[in-house]
Amino acid sequence: MKYLDKKIEEIHKLLKEKKIKPIDLVEEAFQNIENSDCNSYITLNKEEARNVAKELEKIEVEDNLLFGLPIAIKDNIVTKGLRTTCASHILDNFIPIYDATVIEKIKKNHMIIIGKTNMDEFAMGSSSRTSYFGAPTNPWNKEKISGGSSGGSASTISARDVLFALGSDTGGSIRQPASYTGIVGMKPTYGRISRYGLIAFASSLDQIGPMTKNVYENALLLNILVGKDEKDLTSVNREEEDFTRFIGKNIKGLKIGVPNYFMSDIVSKDIKNKVKEIIKVLEENGATVDFIDIKYLENAVTLYQIIAMGEASSNLARFDGIRYGHSIKDPKDIDDLYFRTRSEGFGEEVKRRIMVGSYLLSGENAKIYYNKALSIRDDMRKEFKNAFQKYDLLIGPTTTTTAYNLSDSMDDPLKSFLDDVLVNPVNMAGLPGLNLPIGFDKEHMPIGMQIIGNSFEEAKIYQLAAFLEKKLKLELDPNRGEKNV
Amino acid sequence: MSNYIPTIGVEVHLELKTKTKIFSNSMNGYGEMANSLTNVVDLGYPGTLPTLNEEVIKLGIKAATILNCNIRKVMHFDRKNYFYPDNPKNYQITQARTPIGYDGYVEITLENQEKKKIYIEEMHIEEDTCKSAHRGEKTLLDFNRAGVPLIEIVTKPCISSGEEVKLYLEKLRELLSFGDISDCKIEEGSMRADVNVSLRKKESDPLGTKVEIKNIGSISNAKLGVEKEIKRQTKIYDNKETIKPQTRRFDDKKNDTILMRVKETGNDYRYFPEPDIPFVVLTDEMIESCRKEIPMLPDERRQIYKEKGILEINVNKLVQNRSLSDYLNTLLEEKIDFKIASNLLLGDISAYLNKKEKTIQETTLTKKRFVELVHLLENNTLTSKNLKEMIEDILEKEDSIEKIMKEKNIENITDDTEIRKVIKTIISNNPESVEDYKNGHDRAIKYLMGQVMKETKGKVNPKMTMDILLEELK
Repeated sequence: MKYLDKKIEEIHKLLKEKKIKPIDLVEEAFQNIENSDCNSYITLNKEEARNVAKELEKIEVEDNLLFGLPIAIKDNIVTKGLRTTCASHILDNFIPIYDATVIEKIKKNHMIIIGKTNMDEFAMGSSSRTSYFGAPTNPWNKEKISGGSSGGSASTISARDVLFALGSDTGGSIRQPASYTGIVGMKPTYGRISRYGLIAFASSLDQIGPMTKNVYENALLLNILVGKDEKDLTSVNREEEDFTRFIGKNIKGLKIGVPNYFMSDIVSKDIKNKVKEIIKVLEENGATVDFIDIKYLENAVTLYQIIAMGEASSNLARFDGIRYGHSIKDPKDIDDLYFRTRSEGFGEEVKRRIMVGSYLLSGENAKIYYNKALSIRDDMRKEFKNAFQKYDLLIGPTTTTTAYNLSDSMDDPLKSFLDDVLVNPVNMAGLPGLNLPIGFDKEHMPIGMQIIGNSFEEAKIYQLAAFLEKKLKLELDPNRGEKNV
Repeated sequence: MSNYIPTIGVEVHLELKTKTKIFSNSMNGYGEMANSLTNVVDLGYPGTLPTLNEEVIKLGIKAATILNCNIRKVMHFDRKNYFYPDNPKNYQITQARTPIGYDGYVEITLENQEKKKIYIEEMHIEEDTCKSAHRGEKTLLDFNRAGVPLIEIVTKPCISSGEEVKLYLEKLRELLSFGDISDCKIEEGSMRADVNVSLRKKESDPLGTKVEIKNIGSISNAKLGVEKEIKRQTKIYDNKETIKPQTRRFDDKKNDTILMRVKETGNDYRYFPEPDIPFVVLTDEMIESCRKEIPMLPDERRQIYKEKGILEINVNKLVQNRSLSDYLNTLLEEKIDFKIASNLLLGDISAYLNKKEKTIQETTLTKKRFVELVHLLENNTLTSKNLKEMIEDILEKEDSIEKIMKEKNIENITDDTEIRKVIKTIISNNPESVEDYKNGHDRAIKYLMGQVMKETKGKVNPKMTMDILLEELK
């Protein structure tokens, strides 16, 4: 029983020929999750997943490679009837009464939701250690973090529990954990995928994206997630496209830029060297690679903090104990209800960000900080836009280090932001960015490379990623075949 | 008591007459079962996002036009952050920095017939909160109102009396209800006014401390409230005391304003641009097409009706009856006697409509039939007595007026030679009465008239008959 390790086309063929049933894949996924034991999930959808799998037996297998395949959903995306907690005590009893738009799409494509994955509380963090449910662990080394905030989605894909997961990326939350766990994670262009039903952290930055073990499957999943949604005014209307269409093409003539900041001393030697090796591979295969300057990159973290915390302080105001979620018993008055519900319900990091965010928007500060950050963000966008007039894609490391130890101190909040120094700029500019595993460090922890495209050029990113994936032929299964022994 | 100069500013919230709410597709309705007009967006559920009802923007453009405002072509929404149980997201989506309308005015006519412009600082679009009701220890929340579109209209501090406040509110109500912007019903909460009052000694002094009066239940209370507040503040200043910035409400029973809360520090609403709604860009075409859709406003109606020769008293009655006025406006190109038309509308037709609780638009009285009816009255083919007999058929049947007349056996003699013939016979048959009349007995003429009516079975126009009778008796 190891169908989920097969190629997606083979699984599909088996389903089509009725040699296996969706329920077999569901049972295998639950077994895998139990075996890998990475605390990847907050809630498993056992009963309903089995029901759906049984229901799928009644219908013809469509010409849809995703048919009947299990998928894990980050726990900040609402699922009707299935607990959605945002890894927070304040929502630990919250059962949504509606589906996010992406969930509707997943159900329409007959994928099976296997469970809700662990994450940093309200996606605030870079190691998933702010989760109310304890941090997920890295399948490559259980002493290590799986990154964050989509740490659970990253670890379950890395552990080969399931083929597909959804993450969300506000300041790197898909790409950074993908890098730490050696998987492929895509943050699409802002507006590509409807945010309706994604519990907002920072509305102007949040974006849902696919997390998979390889490039092709990533593009397949993106195919069904995108599209203008009437319910999300920030979603964008684009012509339908197949994101797999450039996969398999060579890279001759591709012009690639490497921002100097991405190769500066903030990045560890191991990682820099690995990226340099990749640059050589690219050049050997007909691409041109230039080192370039992009202004404001070094400001991205500061801008990110101001914008994300400002917006978060407002987005999280609705959790007040009145309509849903955690609510204290016998409040003295309305202020007591607010105060104690939120004091008990939110964790330390969330409270800290709400307080800082409130301060940043308070009185004249809104002008000094938030508005100014928005205007520098515009400048940074223009910088990227200029770069993309000359270059097809930008590359660089995804992270400055590989995954660190779960036991490392969390006391320095600035350090956790520095984890995201290379991923933040992409959110600021609203661009698509992908993490591709490119090798390992001395401790055999995965190293990731980030590929950044111009707005709506995800297909080109996949082209380069798939080319390198094929060239590098890395063994990216941490179980190395041990799983089913 | 000394004399102080009052400075008054008014903020009015109006609920817009849209089909659905501003940021969701829930219905916008009043008086429905609590929480029946809500969805996850109105309830501020996690993950939900606002959409934007285009109808609201259109009504905003119209309202701004009616209030003579400049219209902002690139605007955005802002979040106003504050915690309150009636505020489901704990932020309200409003327009703090880019109100759709700014620098407008409304003209009022003062008691001495002088005109005064009340200047509008700005006019913005926002969402309504939900309604809370206190039941003993508990507070109940009805989210039907949450997300109902509002416009808030803020005047400059240019109003100087309670009377002016009243005139301004009346004018606003008239303009915006005629403009189909809002129902403007204070009793249902679709129009709500807050008034700011401060006093100072001289025009050259800085403005005094502002006191806000909220929860004003009627326009007359607005006037009363302001007058009471001016007196209250005058007394305080006369006693050399100071006033703290505060919010008061007008209490109907006590007939005075009552302290709600003292404003400790300026509220910090932490405004920032709403990231879930992209900037709204209005095109000239869009603005122009909205302008064209604005129905004719009361002042223009008054002007036209006067020009058409309608009596002043009827002009005002018509402008107060929107549906009759709209009906009459469809007839303005017709060649009819508008005096008769207005009497007809406000007389027998109005009486029937009121009795049946119908609007004229719900009757069978087409433009064509109405014109026919007025013409028949003009040339005396129909008498007002006949009209009363026929009114139900006129308004409920689709037959021509002439056909109804025939069915009712109403056939008036309009040919004056025929009437004269009858009168001549009556005169020659009643020499005594003729003699009495000539001797000054008034009763004789009534008798003779009665005889004519009897002979013609009432099918003659009384006035016309009397004229001929008097002529023949000379």
